[in-house]
Amino acid sequence: MVDKIHVAVLGYGFMGSTHIDAWQMIEGCVVKGVWGRDFSKTKQFASERGVKAYSSLSEILDDRDIDVVDICTPTYTHADYAVQALEAGKHVIVEKPMALSLRDADRMIHAADKSGMKLMVAHVLRFFPDYMQVRKIVEEGGIGEICQARAFRGGPFPAWSPWFGDVVKSGGVAVDTAIHDVDFITWISSSSAHRVYAKIIRNVNGNLAKYDIAIINIRYGDGLIAFIEASWAHPPSFPFTMKLELDGTEGMITLDNQPPIPISLYTKNAKHSYAPESLPWKPMVHPFPLDPFYRELSHFVDCIRRDENPMTDGRVSRKSLEICLAAVKSSESGKPVNLPLEV
Amino acid sequence: MSATFRVGFLGVAHFHAESYAKALKKIPNCEIVGVYEEDTGLGNRFGEEFKIEYHASMSELLNKNLDAVIITSENSKHHEYVVNALDNDLHVLCEKPMTINLRDAEDIVCRVDKKGVKFQMCYVMRYHTVSILVKELIDSGVLGKPILMVGTNKLNRSLPLLRSWFTDPGLSGGGAVIDHTVHLADLMRWYTADEVVEVYTEVGKNVNKTIGVEDNFFTTVRFRSGPIGHIDGSWTYASGFYTWGDVAMEIIGTEGAILMDAFRQNIYFIGDKHPSNRLSWSYYGCDPDLAMVREFKRCIQEDRPPRATARDGLEGVKISLASYESSKRGEPVQLF
Repeated sequence: MVDKIHVAVLGYGFMGSTHIDAWQMIEGCVVKGVWGRDFSKTKQFASERGVKAYSSLSEILDDRDIDVVDICTPTYTHADYAVQALEAGKHVIVEKPMALSLRDADRMIHAADKSGMKLMVAHVLRFFPDYMQVRKIVEEGGIGEICQARAFRGGPFPAWSPWFGDVVKSGGVAVDTAIHDVDFITWISSSSAHRVYAKIIRNVNGNLAKYDIAIINIRYGDGLIAFIEASWAHPPSFPFTMKLELDGTEGMITLDNQPPIPISLYTKNAKHSYAPESLPWKPMVHPFPLDPFYRELSHFVDCIRRDENPMTDGRVSRKSLEICLAAVKSSESGKPVNLPLEV
Repeated sequence: MSATFRVGFLGVAHFHAESYAKALKKIPNCEIVGVYEEDTGLGNRFGEEFKIEYHASMSELLNKNLDAVIITSENSKHHEYVVNALDNDLHVLCEKPMTINLRDAEDIVCRVDKKGVKFQMCYVMRYHTVSILVKELIDSGVLGKPILMVGTNKLNRSLPLLRSWFTDPGLSGGGAVIDHTVHLADLMRWYTADEVVEVYTEVGKNVNKTIGVEDNFFTTVRFRSGPIGHIDGSWTYASGFYTWGDVAMEIIGTEGAILMDAFRQNIYFIGDKHPSNRLSWSYYGCDPDLAMVREFKRCIQEDRPPRATARDGLEGVKISLASYESSKRGEPVQLF
């Protein structure tokens, strides 16, 4: 392994930018450059971040310096880019959802297996300090056996980027957003999902009101039931909210990312809130190592250096994708959907 | 109706009997005439607590020139008690769930229609200041068209253990599903002015392994005009929870969202000694039991229909029974 890990980031959107922040804090990592589909935007973004602007994906794949390709482009592009990068001998970290079909997920898994390169899907929720703490309590047996899980993740319609509203490109809220909680709950449960029943209420073509909201019931093999609500239907005044409740045989845990928060600062013009443990997307002031993106990418770097399997490799992530796709199928058919899904 | 509103209790096995009795004591021109209860010990204790006469015979109490009865017995006895009350031309306030089978529920609706007396369901959330305000907000159109309602009416797991009949299916009709589906189902029906046409329920593994009824479930319902509801009435809150449970609902409309948490309080109380040595919410909110009982009396005096009728009771029973059916079959059950 080379001393320094050189990274190329695909995508100049919100996630690309967030990942670059994190990469630049990780010792022994260098973001060499970025690439996105619009070259003038790529050049502007690259110059803002002080990195190279690649003119094409193949330029990255041919660059022998590059060890890691970090895919932060819209979801529908993930599979093709990941497969190409893996085949070119690059390690790949790809934003969630890894793909929009199991066929594509399998192509990615196969490419990773064949090339021997690492493939990690960025399920960042596993690296949030508060969710990590929940997992720790569960692991220590703090609530006994988990019988019920409820999760909420939602806010206004993501209007900042038009591809989210295109279900063909993003999978909609049931795939794009619910997958965070699907992955987390599946991770902490001791069995796998057997049955999914979901309703998706969507109006993404409306001129005025755009909304996409999913409620997903999941039954796991051991009798755990999970309910996940993922919303892009809340009004613009509604703050992005994450909630989790776990009811176990010996207790319960609730998590809510809304106040109480550790520090509130009121000034003449604004209110600032500081909760470094749980609000990572705010300018990270202190202390950076708690930033979930930093931890997530550090985990990937550790896996590369130690030749270990990332905790959310292609196979693990495929399970969550499968549940989300089952939710879509259930909503379309009006029936519960049994797992595994046929490819 | 006489100048004084004369009420008798038929069965007091449900905890709510006590809060209704306390409410009645606060209402002017209202007299609790007596209590009938099959369990002599329980009936006597209740009589002593509220200084009313205990009757070991139901017909004896029903012959005391009553205006109305409040039925707060075990669920399985509701039908028989309702029939007796109606046969004596008495108005009825009936605890939820109205019955534990469909035949009895339909029979009650039929008999109430024939008798023309007032029959009010104890759907107490129709009398809670917070849930009423939400109804007014929805009706004002501020949300646009409601598209999704996600509710919790969860219970502190220690409570159903306090009275053994709650976990005896012969007396209760089941566990959390029959006990705690109806409040949210009824609120959603009230809010949408629509009926449930499809029910899907997942019953999960119990948090309490020592009881023989389910304590953990999710129900998804679809209303005729489209809105979706999700009901979690599980008895799974930890025994150290802030209070007895909750009635909370998120309502998403095309133009906005409402978050309601009807019993949430902003006073935290903790003492040094058991049982107050855990963090709890100190309740000082509205008294929906009082509002409901007062409204019962008014409906009778002013001869107008109760806010929640036998028909609303029947719909609650239908939805709860469809939940069991769905859970058994592993698929959605259609109503109507």
